[in-house]
Amino acid sequence: MNPVSFDPLASGPLLAGAVLATVASLWLLLPNGRDTTTARWLGASLGLAALAAFIATGRRLGGLGEEAVFLIVSLVAVISAAATIVSRSPVYAAIWFALSLAGVAGVLLVLGAQFLGVATIVVYAGAILVMFLFVLMLAQPAGLASYDRVSNEPFLSALAGAVLLGVLSLSIGRLSAGPASCCDLPTRATATPLTATPSAAEGIAAPATAPVATVVDPLAENHVARLGGELFGRHLVAVEAAGVLLLVALIGAIAVVSRGEAAHAAEATTATGPAAGRSAAR
Amino acid sequence: MNTMQSLPLLQNALTVGAILFSLGLVGILTRRNLIVMFLAAEMMLQGISVSLVAWSRYHGDWGGHVLVIFVLTVAACEAAVALVFVLQAFSRTGRLDAAAWQSLREANVGRTIDHELPAIDTVPLRFPTLAPAGVLPPADENEPLQREHV
Repeated sequence: MNPVSFDPLASGPLLAGAVLATVASLWLLLPNGRDTTTARWLGASLGLAALAAFIATGRRLGGLGEEAVFLIVSLVAVISAAATIVSRSPVYAAIWFALSLAGVAGVLLVLGAQFLGVATIVVYAGAILVMFLFVLMLAQPAGLASYDRVSNEPFLSALAGAVLLGVLSLSIGRLSAGPASCCDLPTRATATPLTATPSAAEGIAAPATAPVATVVDPLAENHVARLGGELFGRHLVAVEAAGVLLLVALIGAIAVVSRGEAAHAAEATTATGPAAGRSAAR
Repeated sequence: MNTMQSLPLLQNALTVGAILFSLGLVGILTRRNLIVMFLAAEMMLQGISVSLVAWSRYHGDWGGHVLVIFVLTVAACEAAVALVFVLQAFSRTGRLDAAAWQSLREANVGRTIDHELPAIDTVPLRFPTLAPAGVLPPADENEPLQREHV
Protein backbone atom coordinates (compact mmCIF):
# COMPACT_ATOMS: atom_id res chain seq x y z
CA MET A 1 0.00 0.00 0.00
CA ASN A 2 2.83 2.36 0.76
CA PRO A 3 5.26 2.84 -2.13
CA VAL A 4 8.10 3.94 0.17
CA SER A 5 7.87 0.73 2.09
CA PHE A 6 10.26 -1.45 4.05
CA ASP A 7 13.55 -2.20 2.34
CA PRO A 8 15.23 -5.14 4.05
CA LEU A 9 18.54 -4.69 2.27
CA ALA A 10 18.94 -1.14 3.49
CA SER A 11 17.84 -1.54 7.09
CA GLY A 12 19.01 -5.12 7.68
CA PRO A 13 22.67 -4.31 8.39
CA LEU A 14 21.60 -1.32 10.43
CA LEU A 15 19.35 -3.53 12.53
CA ALA A 16 22.10 -6.14 12.96
CA GLY A 17 24.50 -3.43 14.03
CA ALA A 18 21.97 -2.11 16.50
CA VAL A 19 21.49 -5.58 17.98
CA LEU A 20 25.25 -6.13 18.32
CA ALA A 21 25.71 -2.70 19.89
CA THR A 22 22.88 -3.46 22.31
CA VAL A 23 24.53 -6.73 23.37
CA ALA A 24 27.91 -5.08 23.92
CA SER A 25 26.45 -2.08 25.67
CA LEU A 26 24.32 -4.11 28.09
CA TRP A 27 27.19 -6.50 28.77
CA LEU A 28 29.50 -3.61 29.60
CA LEU A 29 26.94 -1.72 31.65
CA LEU A 30 25.44 -4.52 33.73
CA PRO A 31 26.98 -4.94 37.17
CA ASN A 32 29.87 -7.35 36.96
CA GLY A 33 31.81 -6.61 40.12
CA ARG A 34 34.60 -4.67 38.46
CA ASP A 35 33.12 -1.20 38.04
CA THR A 36 35.60 0.47 35.76
CA THR A 37 34.85 3.91 34.41
CA THR A 38 36.05 3.12 30.90
CA ALA A 39 33.64 0.20 30.63
CA ARG A 40 30.81 2.47 31.69
CA TRP A 41 31.63 5.16 29.16
CA LEU A 42 32.13 2.62 26.41
CA GLY A 43 28.86 0.91 27.27
CA ALA A 44 26.96 4.17 27.41
CA SER A 45 28.30 5.33 24.05
CA LEU A 46 27.55 1.94 22.48
CA GLY A 47 24.04 2.12 23.87
CA LEU A 48 23.57 5.58 22.39
CA ALA A 49 24.82 4.26 19.05
CA ALA A 50 22.29 1.42 19.22
CA LEU A 51 19.56 3.94 20.01
CA ALA A 52 20.59 6.07 17.05
CA ALA A 53 20.44 3.01 14.81
CA PHE A 54 16.96 2.19 16.08
CA ILE A 55 15.87 5.77 15.47
CA ALA A 56 17.29 5.56 11.95
CA THR A 57 15.29 2.40 11.24
CA GLY A 58 12.14 4.02 12.61
CA ARG A 59 9.46 5.56 10.42
CA ARG A 60 8.95 9.23 9.88
CA LEU A 61 5.70 10.43 11.33
CA GLY A 62 3.54 13.03 9.67
CA GLY A 63 4.36 16.32 11.30
CA LEU A 64 7.61 17.57 12.75
CA GLY A 65 6.05 18.50 16.07
CA GLU A 66 4.48 15.09 16.61
CA GLU A 67 7.72 13.43 15.62
CA ALA A 68 9.78 15.51 18.04
CA VAL A 69 7.38 14.90 20.93
CA PHE A 70 7.26 11.17 20.29
CA LEU A 71 11.05 11.01 19.99
CA ILE A 72 11.61 12.86 23.25
CA VAL A 73 9.15 10.87 25.36
CA SER A 74 10.24 7.52 23.95
CA LEU A 75 13.91 8.39 24.50
CA VAL A 76 13.12 9.28 28.12
CA ALA A 77 11.29 5.98 28.54
CA VAL A 78 13.98 3.82 26.93
CA ILE A 79 17.05 5.47 28.43
CA SER A 80 15.65 5.43 31.94
CA ALA A 81 14.54 1.83 31.46
CA ALA A 82 18.10 0.90 30.58
CA ALA A 83 19.37 2.86 33.57
CA THR A 84 16.90 0.97 35.77
CA ILE A 85 18.35 -2.41 34.99
CA VAL A 86 21.99 -1.35 35.14
CA SER A 87 21.82 0.68 38.35
CA ARG A 88 23.83 -0.80 41.19
CA SER A 89 21.73 0.75 43.92
CA PRO A 90 18.12 -0.50 43.98
CA VAL A 91 16.92 2.87 45.23
CA TYR A 92 18.35 4.55 42.16
CA ALA A 93 16.82 1.78 40.05
CA ALA A 94 13.39 2.63 41.50
CA ILE A 95 13.88 6.33 40.80
CA TRP A 96 14.96 5.62 37.22
CA PHE A 97 11.91 3.39 36.86
CA ALA A 98 9.70 6.31 37.92
CA LEU A 99 11.25 8.43 35.17
CA SER A 100 10.71 5.60 32.71
CA LEU A 101 7.06 5.51 33.76
CA ALA A 102 6.80 9.22 33.01
CA GLY A 103 8.17 8.54 29.53
CA VAL A 104 5.75 5.66 29.00
CA ALA A 105 2.88 7.89 30.07
CA GLY A 106 4.05 10.43 27.50
CA VAL A 107 4.08 7.76 24.79
CA LEU A 108 0.54 6.75 25.78
CA LEU A 109 -0.56 10.39 25.59
CA VAL A 110 0.95 10.73 22.12
CA LEU A 111 -0.95 7.60 21.13
CA GLY A 112 -4.17 9.29 22.26
CA ALA A 113 -4.73 7.24 25.42
CA GLN A 114 -5.38 10.11 27.80
CA PHE A 115 -6.93 8.11 30.60
CA LEU A 116 -4.27 5.40 30.51
CA GLY A 117 -1.44 7.92 30.51
CA VAL A 118 -2.72 9.55 33.66
CA ALA A 119 -3.66 6.19 35.21
CA THR A 120 -0.12 4.91 34.63
CA ILE A 121 1.30 7.85 36.53
CA VAL A 122 -1.24 7.56 39.35
CA VAL A 123 -1.26 3.79 39.80
CA TYR A 124 2.37 2.95 39.04
CA ALA A 125 4.36 5.96 40.15
CA GLY A 126 1.93 6.93 42.88
CA ALA A 127 1.12 3.58 44.43
CA ILE A 128 3.21 0.64 43.25
CA LEU A 129 6.55 2.43 43.13
CA VAL A 130 6.05 4.01 46.54
CA MET A 131 5.32 0.54 47.90
CA PHE A 132 8.57 -0.71 46.35
CA LEU A 133 10.44 2.16 47.96
CA PHE A 134 8.90 1.35 51.35
CA VAL A 135 10.08 -2.24 51.08
CA LEU A 136 13.52 -1.02 50.05
CA MET A 137 13.69 1.25 53.06
CA LEU A 138 12.66 -1.65 55.30
CA ALA A 139 14.90 -4.27 53.81
CA GLN A 140 17.93 -2.69 52.23
CA PRO A 141 21.12 -3.00 54.24
CA ALA A 142 23.41 -0.03 54.57
CA GLY A 143 25.75 0.49 51.69
CA LEU A 144 25.90 -1.45 48.46
CA ALA A 145 25.24 -5.16 48.95
CA SER A 146 27.46 -7.68 47.22
CA TYR A 147 24.55 -9.15 45.26
CA ASP A 148 23.86 -5.72 43.76
CA ARG A 149 27.35 -5.55 42.33
CA VAL A 150 27.28 -8.84 40.39
CA SER A 151 24.74 -10.31 38.02
CA ASN A 152 23.81 -13.72 36.69
CA GLU A 153 25.25 -14.42 33.24
CA PRO A 154 25.24 -10.83 31.94
CA PHE A 155 26.49 -11.71 28.47
CA LEU A 156 23.95 -14.46 27.80
CA SER A 157 21.09 -12.37 29.18
CA ALA A 158 22.07 -9.36 27.07
CA LEU A 159 22.33 -11.63 24.04
CA ALA A 160 18.88 -13.10 24.69
CA GLY A 161 17.29 -9.68 25.14
CA ALA A 162 18.96 -8.17 22.08
CA VAL A 163 18.10 -11.13 19.86
CA LEU A 164 14.49 -10.90 20.98
CA LEU A 165 14.57 -7.18 20.23
CA GLY A 166 16.05 -7.78 16.79
CA VAL A 167 13.44 -10.38 15.88
CA LEU A 168 10.63 -8.14 17.11
CA SER A 169 11.99 -5.15 15.18
CA LEU A 170 12.27 -7.24 12.05
CA SER A 171 8.67 -8.36 12.29
CA ILE A 172 7.53 -4.83 13.13
CA GLY A 173 9.36 -3.48 10.08
CA ARG A 174 7.68 -6.07 7.87
CA LEU A 175 4.25 -4.86 8.87
CA SER A 176 4.08 -2.49 5.94
CA ALA A 177 5.48 -4.93 3.40
CA GLY A 178 2.58 -7.35 3.65
CA PRO A 179 -0.80 -6.83 2.06
CA ALA A 180 -3.18 -4.69 4.00
CA SER A 181 -5.70 -7.47 4.31
CA CYS A 182 -5.86 -7.19 8.05
CA CYS A 183 -6.83 -3.55 8.07
CA ASP A 184 -9.73 -3.50 5.66
CA LEU A 185 -12.12 -4.96 8.19
CA PRO A 186 -14.54 -2.41 9.52
CA THR A 187 -13.93 -2.23 13.20
CA ARG A 188 -16.61 -1.49 15.68
CA ALA A 189 -15.51 2.03 16.50
CA THR A 190 -15.49 3.13 12.88
CA ALA A 191 -18.48 1.12 11.73
CA THR A 192 -20.80 2.58 14.32
CA PRO A 193 -21.31 6.32 14.04
CA LEU A 194 -20.10 8.40 16.90
CA THR A 195 -23.52 9.75 17.72
CA ALA A 196 -24.80 6.28 18.42
CA THR A 197 -23.27 6.33 21.87
CA PRO A 198 -25.29 8.41 24.30
CA SER A 199 -22.25 10.21 25.67
CA ALA A 200 -21.14 11.42 22.26
CA ALA A 201 -24.55 12.82 21.45
CA GLU A 202 -24.16 15.79 23.74
CA GLY A 203 -20.47 16.31 22.95
CA ILE A 204 -19.39 19.92 23.01
CA ALA A 205 -15.97 19.46 21.42
CA ALA A 206 -17.30 17.75 18.32
CA PRO A 207 -17.61 20.73 15.92
CA ALA A 208 -14.28 22.25 16.96
CA THR A 209 -12.07 19.25 16.21
CA ALA A 210 -13.66 18.15 12.97
CA PRO A 211 -12.10 20.42 10.29
CA VAL A 212 -8.44 20.44 11.41
CA ALA A 213 -7.90 16.73 11.99
CA THR A 214 -5.57 15.19 9.42
CA VAL A 215 -4.93 11.88 11.17
CA VAL A 216 -8.29 10.44 12.05
CA ASP A 217 -8.37 8.99 15.51
CA PRO A 218 -11.83 7.57 16.04
CA LEU A 219 -11.18 7.19 19.75
CA ALA A 220 -10.29 10.80 20.42
CA GLU A 221 -13.76 12.25 20.77
CA ASN A 222 -15.24 12.06 24.27
CA HIS A 223 -12.45 9.68 25.08
CA VAL A 224 -12.85 9.01 28.78
CA ALA A 225 -16.64 8.84 28.70
CA ARG A 226 -16.66 6.36 25.87
CA LEU A 227 -13.89 4.30 27.47
CA GLY A 228 -15.95 4.12 30.63
CA GLY A 229 -18.99 3.13 28.62
CA GLU A 230 -17.05 0.36 26.92
CA LEU A 231 -15.51 -0.81 30.19
CA PHE A 232 -18.72 -0.94 32.15
CA GLY A 233 -20.88 -2.07 29.27
CA ARG A 234 -19.20 -4.75 27.25
CA HIS A 235 -16.59 -5.77 29.84
CA LEU A 236 -18.70 -5.56 32.98
CA VAL A 237 -18.07 -9.15 34.04
CA ALA A 238 -14.34 -8.67 33.61
CA VAL A 239 -14.48 -5.56 35.79
CA GLU A 240 -16.22 -7.55 38.49
CA ALA A 241 -13.60 -10.28 38.18
CA ALA A 242 -10.83 -7.68 38.50
CA GLY A 243 -12.46 -6.37 41.65
CA VAL A 244 -12.60 -9.87 43.10
CA LEU A 245 -8.95 -10.32 42.15
CA LEU A 246 -7.97 -7.16 44.01
CA LEU A 247 -9.88 -8.32 47.08
CA VAL A 248 -8.27 -11.77 46.96
CA ALA A 249 -4.81 -10.25 46.60
CA LEU A 250 -5.42 -7.98 49.57
CA ILE A 251 -6.65 -10.82 51.78
CA GLY A 252 -3.86 -13.09 50.59
CA ALA A 253 -1.19 -10.51 51.34
CA ILE A 254 -2.52 -9.95 54.85
CA ALA A 255 -2.83 -13.72 55.46
CA VAL A 256 0.72 -14.42 54.30
CA VAL A 257 2.10 -11.63 56.47
CA SER A 258 0.29 -12.69 59.64
CA ARG A 259 0.78 -16.45 59.29
CA GLY A 260 4.36 -16.00 58.15
CA GLU A 261 5.15 -13.91 61.22
CA ALA A 262 3.62 -16.55 63.49
CA ALA A 263 5.47 -19.41 61.82
CA HIS A 264 8.72 -17.46 61.93
CA ALA A 265 8.34 -16.77 65.63
CA ALA A 266 7.48 -20.40 66.39
CA GLU A 267 10.43 -21.56 64.34
CA ALA A 268 12.76 -19.19 66.12
CA THR A 269 11.64 -20.45 69.53
CA THR A 270 11.71 -24.19 68.79
CA ALA A 271 14.87 -24.51 66.68
CA THR A 272 18.35 -23.36 67.39
CA GLY A 273 20.39 -23.80 64.20
CA PRO A 274 19.47 -22.84 60.65
CA ALA A 275 19.44 -26.51 59.55
CA ALA A 276 17.08 -27.46 62.35
CA GLY A 277 14.91 -24.47 61.50
CA ARG A 278 14.65 -25.58 57.90
CA SER A 279 13.58 -29.07 58.89
CA ALA A 280 11.10 -27.64 61.34
CA ALA A 281 9.57 -25.53 58.60
CA ARG A 282 9.19 -28.59 56.47
CA MET B 1 -9.46 5.20 8.86
CA ASN B 2 -6.29 6.85 7.69
CA THR B 3 -3.89 3.96 7.66
CA MET B 4 -1.27 5.77 5.61
CA GLN B 5 -0.75 8.20 8.44
CA SER B 6 -1.07 5.92 11.41
CA LEU B 7 1.09 3.00 10.25
CA PRO B 8 4.43 4.75 11.03
CA LEU B 9 3.09 5.73 14.44
CA LEU B 10 2.09 2.11 15.04
CA GLN B 11 5.53 0.84 14.04
CA ASN B 12 7.41 3.35 16.15
CA ALA B 13 5.26 2.70 19.20
CA LEU B 14 5.62 -1.07 18.74
CA THR B 15 9.39 -0.60 18.59
CA VAL B 16 9.34 1.35 21.85
CA GLY B 17 7.25 -1.42 23.41
CA ALA B 18 9.65 -4.07 22.13
CA ILE B 19 12.66 -2.21 23.54
CA LEU B 20 10.99 -1.87 26.95
CA PHE B 21 10.03 -5.56 26.95
CA SER B 22 13.55 -6.67 25.99
CA LEU B 23 15.20 -4.47 28.62
CA GLY B 24 12.83 -5.86 31.23
CA LEU B 25 13.67 -9.39 30.09
CA VAL B 26 17.39 -8.71 30.45
CA GLY B 27 16.80 -7.21 33.87
CA ILE B 28 14.76 -10.10 35.21
CA LEU B 29 17.23 -12.64 33.84
CA THR B 30 20.38 -11.08 35.12
CA ARG B 31 19.78 -9.04 38.25
CA ARG B 32 19.95 -10.70 41.65
CA ASN B 33 18.16 -8.18 43.83
CA LEU B 34 14.55 -9.33 44.22
CA ILE B 35 13.17 -5.79 44.13
CA VAL B 36 15.03 -4.93 40.93
CA MET B 37 13.75 -8.16 39.40
CA PHE B 38 10.19 -7.07 40.12
CA LEU B 39 10.90 -3.63 38.69
CA ALA B 40 12.07 -5.37 35.51
CA ALA B 41 8.87 -7.43 35.42
CA GLU B 42 6.82 -4.25 35.70
CA MET B 43 8.87 -2.81 32.85
CA MET B 44 7.89 -5.76 30.65
CA LEU B 45 4.25 -5.00 31.49
CA GLN B 46 4.83 -1.39 30.43
CA GLY B 47 6.14 -2.53 27.06
CA ILE B 48 3.07 -4.70 26.58
CA SER B 49 0.82 -1.78 27.50
CA VAL B 50 2.45 0.50 24.94
CA SER B 51 2.03 -2.16 22.24
CA LEU B 52 -1.62 -2.75 23.13
CA VAL B 53 -2.46 0.94 23.03
CA ALA B 54 -0.64 1.32 19.71
CA TRP B 55 -2.69 -1.48 18.15
CA SER B 56 -5.83 0.00 19.65
CA ARG B 57 -5.03 3.36 18.07
CA TYR B 58 -4.31 1.72 14.73
CA HIS B 59 -7.51 -0.26 14.57
CA GLY B 60 -9.68 2.37 16.18
CA ASP B 61 -10.86 -0.17 18.72
CA TRP B 62 -11.29 -0.03 22.48
CA GLY B 63 -9.94 -3.54 23.14
CA GLY B 64 -6.36 -2.50 23.79
CA HIS B 65 -7.34 0.25 26.19
CA VAL B 66 -9.58 -2.07 28.20
CA LEU B 67 -6.89 -4.73 28.30
CA VAL B 68 -4.32 -2.22 29.57
CA ILE B 69 -6.68 -1.29 32.41
CA PHE B 70 -6.79 -4.94 33.43
CA VAL B 71 -3.01 -5.14 33.09
CA LEU B 72 -2.78 -2.27 35.57
CA THR B 73 -5.11 -4.09 37.94
CA VAL B 74 -3.19 -7.34 37.77
CA ALA B 75 0.10 -5.45 38.19
CA ALA B 76 -1.19 -3.87 41.38
CA CYS B 77 -2.26 -7.27 42.76
CA GLU B 78 1.03 -8.82 41.72
CA ALA B 79 3.04 -6.07 43.37
CA ALA B 80 1.14 -6.45 46.65
CA VAL B 81 1.53 -10.23 46.85
CA ALA B 82 5.11 -10.19 45.56
CA LEU B 83 6.25 -7.57 48.03
CA VAL B 84 4.78 -9.62 50.87
CA PHE B 85 6.80 -12.62 49.71
CA VAL B 86 9.92 -10.49 49.33
CA LEU B 87 9.52 -9.20 52.88
CA GLN B 88 9.04 -12.75 54.17
CA ALA B 89 12.16 -13.88 52.32
CA PHE B 90 14.09 -10.95 53.70
CA SER B 91 13.00 -11.64 57.26
CA ARG B 92 14.20 -15.23 56.92
CA THR B 93 17.55 -14.67 55.27
CA GLY B 94 18.36 -11.05 55.93
CA ARG B 95 19.18 -10.49 52.28
CA LEU B 96 17.27 -9.43 49.18
CA ASP B 97 19.33 -11.90 47.18
CA ALA B 98 17.75 -14.33 44.74
CA ALA B 99 20.76 -16.64 45.18
CA ALA B 100 19.96 -16.95 48.89
CA TRP B 101 17.23 -19.35 47.77
CA GLN B 102 19.38 -21.39 45.45
CA SER B 103 18.68 -24.58 47.36
CA LEU B 104 15.41 -24.55 45.38
CA ARG B 105 17.29 -24.99 42.10
CA GLU B 106 17.24 -28.03 39.85
CA ALA B 107 19.49 -30.93 40.69
CA ASN B 108 21.74 -30.58 37.65
CA VAL B 109 22.22 -26.81 37.91
CA GLY B 110 25.49 -25.62 39.33
CA ARG B 111 25.71 -23.66 42.49
CA THR B 112 26.08 -19.89 42.40
CA ILE B 113 29.38 -19.05 44.04
CA ASP B 114 30.17 -15.48 45.02
CA HIS B 115 33.76 -14.52 44.60
CA GLU B 116 35.43 -11.85 46.60
CA LEU B 117 34.62 -8.45 45.14
CA PRO B 118 37.09 -5.59 45.02
CA ALA B 119 36.35 -2.87 47.50
CA ILE B 120 34.71 0.29 46.27
CA ASP B 121 36.61 3.47 46.96
CA THR B 122 33.78 5.50 48.34
CA VAL B 123 34.24 9.22 48.37
CA PRO B 124 33.10 10.51 51.75
CA LEU B 125 30.07 12.72 51.44
CA ARG B 126 30.61 16.39 52.07
CA PHE B 127 27.62 18.28 53.34
CA PRO B 128 27.47 22.04 53.68
CA THR B 129 28.14 23.13 57.22
CA LEU B 130 26.79 26.03 59.16
CA ALA B 131 28.76 28.20 61.51
CA PRO B 132 28.56 26.69 65.02
CA ALA B 133 26.21 28.56 67.31
CA GLY B 134 24.41 27.80 70.53
CA VAL B 135 24.82 24.72 72.74
CA LEU B 136 26.29 21.47 71.41
CA PRO B 137 23.46 18.90 71.36
CA PRO B 138 23.99 15.54 73.10
CA ALA B 139 25.34 12.69 71.03
CA ASP B 140 22.73 10.69 69.18
CA GLU B 141 22.67 7.08 70.37
CA ASN B 142 20.90 6.03 67.17
CA GLU B 143 23.87 7.10 65.12
CA PRO B 144 24.84 3.60 63.86
CA LEU B 145 21.32 3.12 62.49
CA GLN B 146 21.68 5.95 60.02
CA ARG B 147 23.08 4.82 56.72
CA GLU B 148 25.95 6.56 55.11
CA HIS B 149 24.88 6.21 51.51
CA VAL B 150 22.14 4.45 49.64
